[in-house]
Amino acid sequence: QDIVVVGNARGDSDVIRSYFSGTSPEEIEKGLEALRNSGRFANVSASREKGRVVIHVSETNLINRVVFEGNSKVKTDTLTSEVRTRAHGSFNQTVVQQDIARLLEIYKRSGRAAAKITYRTVQLPNGRIDVVFTVEEGDKTGVKEIKFVGNTVFSTGRLVDLMETTEMNFLSFIKTSDVYDPDRIASDLELVRRFYLKNGYADFHVVSSDAVFDPGQGGYVITVVVEEGPQYRVSNVDIESHLPDIDPASLQPYLRLSAGDVYNGDAVEKTVESLTREIAKKGYAFSQARPRGERNPAAQTVAIRFVVDEGPRVYIERINIRGNTRTRDYVIRREFEIGEGDAYNRVLIDRAERRLNGLGFFKKVRVTNEPGSAADRVVVNVDVEDQATGNFGVSGGYSTTEGFIGEVSVSESNFLGRGQATRLSVQAGQRARGVSFSFTEPYFLDQRFSAGFDLFAKKSDAYNYSYYSTTSIGGTLRFGVPITEEISFSPRYSIYNTTISIPNDSNRPYNDCQTPLPGYTPGFGYIFAPTPADLNILYNCQSNGEASLAIKESQGSRLTSLIGYTLSYNSLDNFRNPKNGIHSQLSQDIAGLGGNSRYVRTTGDLRYFHEIPYVDDVVGIARVQGGNMFALGDYQFRVMDNFNLGPTLVRGFAPGGLGPRDISNWTSSRGNSLGGTNYIGGSLEVQFPIWGLPKDIGLRGALFADAGTLWGYKGATNFSSKLYGVTLPCVYPYSAPTYGQGTCIVVSGDAAQIRSSVGASALWQSPLGPIRFDYAVVLSKAYGDITQRFRFSGGTNF
Amino acid sequence: CLGYDGVINRGAVIDERKAAQVKIGLPAPQVLALLGTPSTTSTIGGDAWYYFSQRIERELAFLPPEVADQHILAVYFDKSKKVQRIADYGLKDGKVIDFISRTTPTAGAEFNFVRNMLAKLTSF
Amino acid sequence: CALLAAAPARADILDSITSGFGLFSGEKYKTEILPDIPAEDIYNQGLARMDAHDYENAAKKFGELEKQYPFSQWARKGLLMQTFAQYQKPAYDDAVASAQRYIGLYPTSPDTPYMYYLAGMSYYNQVPAVMQDQESAEKALAIFTQLVEKFPKSEYVTDVKYKIQVARDQLAAKDMTVGRFYLTRKNYAAAINRFHDVLAKYQTTRHAEEALYRLTEAYFAMGVVNEAQTAAAILGHNFPDSSWYKDAHALLATGGVAPEEHQGSWLSKIGKTLGAS
Repeated sequence: QDIVVVGNARGDSDVIRSYFSGTSPEEIEKGLEALRNSGRFANVSASREKGRVVIHVSETNLINRVVFEGNSKVKTDTLTSEVRTRAHGSFNQTVVQQDIARLLEIYKRSGRAAAKITYRTVQLPNGRIDVVFTVEEGDKTGVKEIKFVGNTVFSTGRLVDLMETTEMNFLSFIKTSDVYDPDRIASDLELVRRFYLKNGYADFHVVSSDAVFDPGQGGYVITVVVEEGPQYRVSNVDIESHLPDIDPASLQPYLRLSAGDVYNGDAVEKTVESLTREIAKKGYAFSQARPRGERNPAAQTVAIRFVVDEGPRVYIERINIRGNTRTRDYVIRREFEIGEGDAYNRVLIDRAERRLNGLGFFKKVRVTNEPGSAADRVVVNVDVEDQATGNFGVSGGYSTTEGFIGEVSVSESNFLGRGQATRLSVQAGQRARGVSFSFTEPYFLDQRFSAGFDLFAKKSDAYNYSYYSTTSIGGTLRFGVPITEEISFSPRYSIYNTTISIPNDSNRPYNDCQTPLPGYTPGFGYIFAPTPADLNILYNCQSNGEASLAIKESQGSRLTSLIGYTLSYNSLDNFRNPKNGIHSQLSQDIAGLGGNSRYVRTTGDLRYFHEIPYVDDVVGIARVQGGNMFALGDYQFRVMDNFNLGPTLVRGFAPGGLGPRDISNWTSSRGNSLGGTNYIGGSLEVQFPIWGLPKDIGLRGALFADAGTLWGYKGATNFSSKLYGVTLPCVYPYSAPTYGQGTCIVVSGDAAQIRSSVGASALWQSPLGPIRFDYAVVLSKAYGDITQRFRFSGGTNF
Repeated sequence: CLGYDGVINRGAVIDERKAAQVKIGLPAPQVLALLGTPSTTSTIGGDAWYYFSQRIERELAFLPPEVADQHILAVYFDKSKKVQRIADYGLKDGKVIDFISRTTPTAGAEFNFVRNMLAKLTSF
Repeated sequence: CALLAAAPARADILDSITSGFGLFSGEKYKTEILPDIPAEDIYNQGLARMDAHDYENAAKKFGELEKQYPFSQWARKGLLMQTFAQYQKPAYDDAVASAQRYIGLYPTSPDTPYMYYLAGMSYYNQVPAVMQDQESAEKALAIFTQLVEKFPKSEYVTDVKYKIQVARDQLAAKDMTVGRFYLTRKNYAAAINRFHDVLAKYQTTRHAEEALYRLTEAYFAMGVVNEAQTAAAILGHNFPDSSWYKDAHALLATGGVAPEEHQGSWLSKIGKTLGAS
């Protein structure tokens, strides 16, 4: 043992000795360094005496406790774990200074750059010391202001709106997006660059971006100097092919931009992708299309040439899927159209990565390559990180049609890691209660079409806008078949039983003409008309609200078994708040495979979104919708089969407020809408941000104009045969002596008049969820229509 | 047909001109230079190289993809690693068989749905 | 139209309100002398907690030993017991970290094999079903192999050898599932390469039989009949009474051929490779 340890009162000599692998000067130096880093000794040194190495360690002033005071933003145990000065260790000046620097860095990152930290030691009677770190956190130091210099084309406000980082304002105490974070600023500037490229500024670049901490304002002022350069137009676009049997003309249709357009970075990228995919289809698996632009600054034009040439001949040796702790291997592997042994093709790999992200099962998806076992072999590594796809949702809300509604739902979009989606939800509200369960397998029989089923049971009560309550229980079997990226076709079979009943109790006596209620039906003890003799036009069995004969006739339950399909075309750029694109659906249901109902119902809906040019962030929406229904054979339509529309067709009307209506009972025609068999509607709307309000409040305004009509009531009007078994001439309501309901109904509003309205609405992405207020003024309506100027719907998913 | 790229070329991309240059007696390194690494080799000994390529067609996104064309270029080497025989297997040589669904049982904790949901609830 | 109850307010709202008024700005410092507890007492407190199955606090207690008496035999014993407590809890990631710290600090102590064993078992117990990522099987295999090489005479070797076999079987099963994935999608070359991997790396696992049978299927579907026969022949030679061999026989019969090797007498050579280890 030629190493001796001196001065270690508590430490074990041979353990200290184990730090030294040998006695050469470098090994000794390395060991000393390791001992110093352990933070256990005040100071450590080595000397050589008589051929033996002596290690001097001094453990003076041992630390009893390390304490933090004044910290509330950052918790004490986070600080303790960051600090190297520890209880039972020795006090070391340099180590404490390094600790303070690290603590300041933590505070800087959590938005408190103005924090000050000092330390002091407290001598204890037993010779030990306490180390106390005192923290003054100071107030929040976020981004006070973002300034752009050199931006002439787009206003600073618009550029700041693009960025994730926001300026501090009265909402600062809620949000964290105003904390100064250098990498977020860097990614923001990339967003700005792409925005400029998209609008033709090919020469745009950020000259400098620096953040200066201004103690006066208590925050950072970020100044970004940019050089926009001219807006380029495309002078001409051509394709140069180095591949023997690919002639450029055949690739012409895949160009996404043409001469004369404003230069657009995204369009160039999309063209590269579609060209590469087309060439790969023709067997050139390794080829790539690369854009090359020749700028002509004087004429501010750029000629773009897509060069198609042979890429390196590389094959995929192996696809390794890693990190999938829940999702099954094949659920990920099947998203790759190319497999092992195939030619490496960047475009198909990117598409697979996009699809994997689209699944929503993963926090992060990263596809990387590493060299394979041979020169022309590459290994593709797919690293995924599963995220909790289970969702325990509780949502509540209010809408003028449904009243207060609440929903509890449990859903799992990656059931057992198989990629299947299941959802169980229970709704409870003032006017509607229901439970539904749905299951979907996205890859039915391992093919790329989805299959699933829904089971539902829903009961909605009668209320003043519709005098009957409906209970429907049933299920649907559905398939989802993608034709192309935008078009999908989903056939379905649905079977459900609906029961119509008319409440007849004290507060909703909607059927007391047929079955009088003692004490409530006039003429049967009702205070104003206790005996039948007192009946008059004002007080009779209809005056307390009465369901129309047409509704009474369709009471009872009925089984509907239908097959149908929905053909949808969807090219929206962003699903949650679309700016450009079309969302359209055509669906048709043929009822009659057994069951009582026999009809064919067709509905169509097309919504076209387009950003209004020259004004930023304003979106125009045009909508057209229509529907038709005709009976098969001699089927007699029931009221609930009909289209019964209101605000969804023309805003400003109450639910079931327009279209054919039984006005025979003038006191309660509000709840007796009969619906129709045809409707058509159109709407124009423009949505815009409310200027002056900061973006992160999430408030947007909208102006709209709606027009539409609903017509074609095909039901009976004379119900005498139903009531008395023989067809008699009509007995009209309110005829003495009973002033009863009579045997016929009077249908109004069936003349396909155009109902129209204009209005304004406010859309608020509130912390409680999306909320919409609509206020509409009706311009034209038919006699008997019921208007409702104000409509509110909102709700949240906790 | 509806603009959906239903055609995928799978496996080795063989250049006809280069394939023609592979003659009997050619040493293995030359074949490697001409055709690249083989898609797969024989199970034992590795003295047979197979270049496997396939054309998959799918009219509509949801139809199952069928093998439109399949081509295997087989190069057999003698003991001194010189080309001894060349064979060509087309789609017609392939046999249509249905693969046995029985698999060897495996260990490992089967993913437990209830445990996962509970874990989520406790962390709620 | 009153709004429904407010959503749970975001945590930092409450935070900023309180700190805004400086009410709770962290507790004030007051001197408090921590008594020095002798090492044996801490160790025994730890053991008491172990018996009470309170593994979390037991691990904390043993951790204290290392803090209060660094560079001492107690630190080593503390670390050992801390690893065991974490393994029992089970907090497998912590157990592996502590075990590896022990192996780093005391590479040649009598308990070091046990630390390898605990680290390996921590991974071994987390091996998921074959459809998930088998990373923990790979890590368990790596640690167990080190244990067998470094401490051939340790009492854990027999148990570890069995567990190595299970881990290899699991990795083979993973390659088999991917192989079958490509086989059913008619990407025969990819499937064949995966089954070759199983034969090359895991020929002593139960999956070797099925790998040979799948090779017969793949080559036969491709039309390369001689290779199919070779694979079936190897299967028959090594596993004559396996159900897979019967299937292979039946499959080849549909093509009017029988399993027989093609390239001279290398069959015995294969026998040696497959039968070994």
